[in-house]
Amino acid sequence: MTSQEPIGTQSPDTGAYAASARAWIRGNLTDALRTDRAHVPGASLGDKIAFEAAQHRAGLVGITWPKDYGGHGLTLREHLEANREIGLAPMPNAVNSIGKELAGPIIMAVGREDQKLDLLPKILKMDHIWCQGFSEPGAGSDLAGLRTRAERTADGWRVNGQKIWTSGASKSQMCLLLARSGTAEDRHKGLMLFAVPMDSPGIDVREIVSIDGARSFCEVFFNDVIVDEANMLGAPDEGWAAATRVLSIERATNRMYRAWRFQSEIDHLVAACRSDLRAFAILSEYKRDIAEARIAVENLKGHVETLVGDLLAGQQIGPRGSFPKLYWSEAHQRFAQVAYEIVSRLPANAGQPLADLKARMELLYFSSRAETIYAGTTEIQLDIIAKRILNLRKAG
Amino acid sequence: MFDDLDPKEFEDTARTVVEGCADLADASARAAMLGEAGLIGVSAPESVGGLALPLDFAVPVVAAAGAGLLGFPLIESMVLAKALAGVNDALAGEIAAGETVATIAWVGVAEDGVVGGAPMAAEAARVLVFRADGSAVLAPLGNGVTAEVTAPLDVDAPEARITLNGPVEGIVLSAEVVATLRADATLLRTGFVRGSAERCLSLAADYAQDRSQFGKPLSANQVIRHRLSRDRLAIETMRCGLTRALGPVPGGDAALARDTAWLSSAKAGIAVAESAIQVFGGMGFTWEVPLHRHLRQMRAQASYGAAAEGTEALGARVLAGRDNDWYGEIAHVV
Repeated sequence: MTSQEPIGTQSPDTGAYAASARAWIRGNLTDALRTDRAHVPGASLGDKIAFEAAQHRAGLVGITWPKDYGGHGLTLREHLEANREIGLAPMPNAVNSIGKELAGPIIMAVGREDQKLDLLPKILKMDHIWCQGFSEPGAGSDLAGLRTRAERTADGWRVNGQKIWTSGASKSQMCLLLARSGTAEDRHKGLMLFAVPMDSPGIDVREIVSIDGARSFCEVFFNDVIVDEANMLGAPDEGWAAATRVLSIERATNRMYRAWRFQSEIDHLVAACRSDLRAFAILSEYKRDIAEARIAVENLKGHVETLVGDLLAGQQIGPRGSFPKLYWSEAHQRFAQVAYEIVSRLPANAGQPLADLKARMELLYFSSRAETIYAGTTEIQLDIIAKRILNLRKAG
Repeated sequence: MFDDLDPKEFEDTARTVVEGCADLADASARAAMLGEAGLIGVSAPESVGGLALPLDFAVPVVAAAGAGLLGFPLIESMVLAKALAGVNDALAGEIAAGETVATIAWVGVAEDGVVGGAPMAAEAARVLVFRADGSAVLAPLGNGVTAEVTAPLDVDAPEARITLNGPVEGIVLSAEVVATLRADATLLRTGFVRGSAERCLSLAADYAQDRSQFGKPLSANQVIRHRLSRDRLAIETMRCGLTRALGPVPGGDAALARDTAWLSSAKAGIAVAESAIQVFGGMGFTWEVPLHRHLRQMRAQASYGAAAEGTEALGARVLAGRDNDWYGEIAHVV
């Protein structure tokens, strides 16, 4: 151990892209939008949408997308630089992350040119918020059990079925719908992808309140919903096969700011506790846990930067996308548990900085429970590593 | 500049040489073989017979040493050959060539009169002893500086305790040189542990697939599969952390990246060895199965690299941090 210096986070030696991203966030992240200002009334959905559209214009979003589709035509290197700054700031999570990090890349991979030109810029401009219609009551991790049916009609498809855990469906304009044209016995065969306008007749959305009190989750019912032939994404089966390839890369690269956001949460915890001697005494009891959390942050940066380096070098990621997802979700959850315990011990008459911290960490604790469940549960990630990386055999 | 060279090839060469070393009688013979292959001087300057390659090339060599349970103070020899260049080129050259065995006492300072954690000092000609002011002395063993091996933890590269009778005489390395030597050793140690842990996982994964109980291989059981997957994640984390620490760290703190890669690997490597012992069941608890030797050498490295103290110190540094601009307006009273 050579360095005894306090650990800083605002590094002066980042690239020019990071510097301009930092300056933009400084000038545009209002108190209402900040996630560390519980005492300030929160921003409206409209304000958040406007903020996200502005991020795109400022070059913080759509960085790697081609210019023809509204993107900035740059590389993952600039994307990583911007995401470092996004992570370090107490910025709200994106309203349209499904559009930008799931629907967009899938449309780019399997969509027709006219679909790309039409749909992709609308995602970045925030004209279209997307939701993901994959999970069903009987098909969570195991999408092969999907029951939502798409039947041929004269001029398109008739969709019947039910989706669940559909984040943001009630505020979305579009749904990335996975349905099957064959029967449930076909398992992975006959799967179809559609871009479905959420105002189509026959779509019924019901909100589900999640354990963090949020109303983002939804159930979405499709009753004889007619989907135009032109809204099919890729050919039957082909679309889904390509989508799964995209998903494995997305698992490694989506929300790339996570390591830095995690770091920012530690920074907030430390800074707020340093505002009160009693709070700092409590925090000091958790020194080892905080060290482990900070180690996890650096390790996560290692995972992300290594994968970005490999992708830039043209390498395949394959099942390795499971590593950062698994590592981050569990380490972040451990930190949230520690942070929750710390804020639960704060004196009742603590000042505003600690009240704001308490609100953020309580929310973090509950919301982090989802992190080991969504985007492939911990158990699914461990199965992927055992089967596809370690190649462990199951039979003698 | 090094475009035509691949660190991976160094690992292949090193693996073969480390295997060859296992059949040799003592540290001097292993030094000669390692020196002959150019493995000790990988990162030492050409002026002392080294290859002057970045540490990226030395890491796969120490990883092979960790995997192969090499009975030699390789990390110590590598960093000494590099640090001595420019101070005493002749001795640096002898160490790089494997003509002189030298080691480092990682625990304690000369002022204590007794220092410890000196791997293979009983077979070494010289030992580096740190001093309280951050500098260090490379002293010849014998006379006033004696090595004693009692119940060593690491059975392959047994560590000795060094008793210093009177002031230590020898070649002095400045605090600045010592700081670089320690930083280099931290990176190499991380690579060594990665190699050792990788071997443990590989042994466990093979055993789980070969060993059959209740009519199926152990690896058919989800608890075993998930355990091994977690160990694989731990190794991937070590690999990525070390890669990051070795390179320029864009927008980050290189010393922090190095320290955290080491602190995390020290803990994770031990956990992977313990996990492998569990997968081996009763066989894992035998002296014959080499997993305990991996566990021992990783425990020894954790001690040389002060992993437990380092984690505490890191915690103190994080708690002292106050320069994230976003939280700058919070008034501190501490």
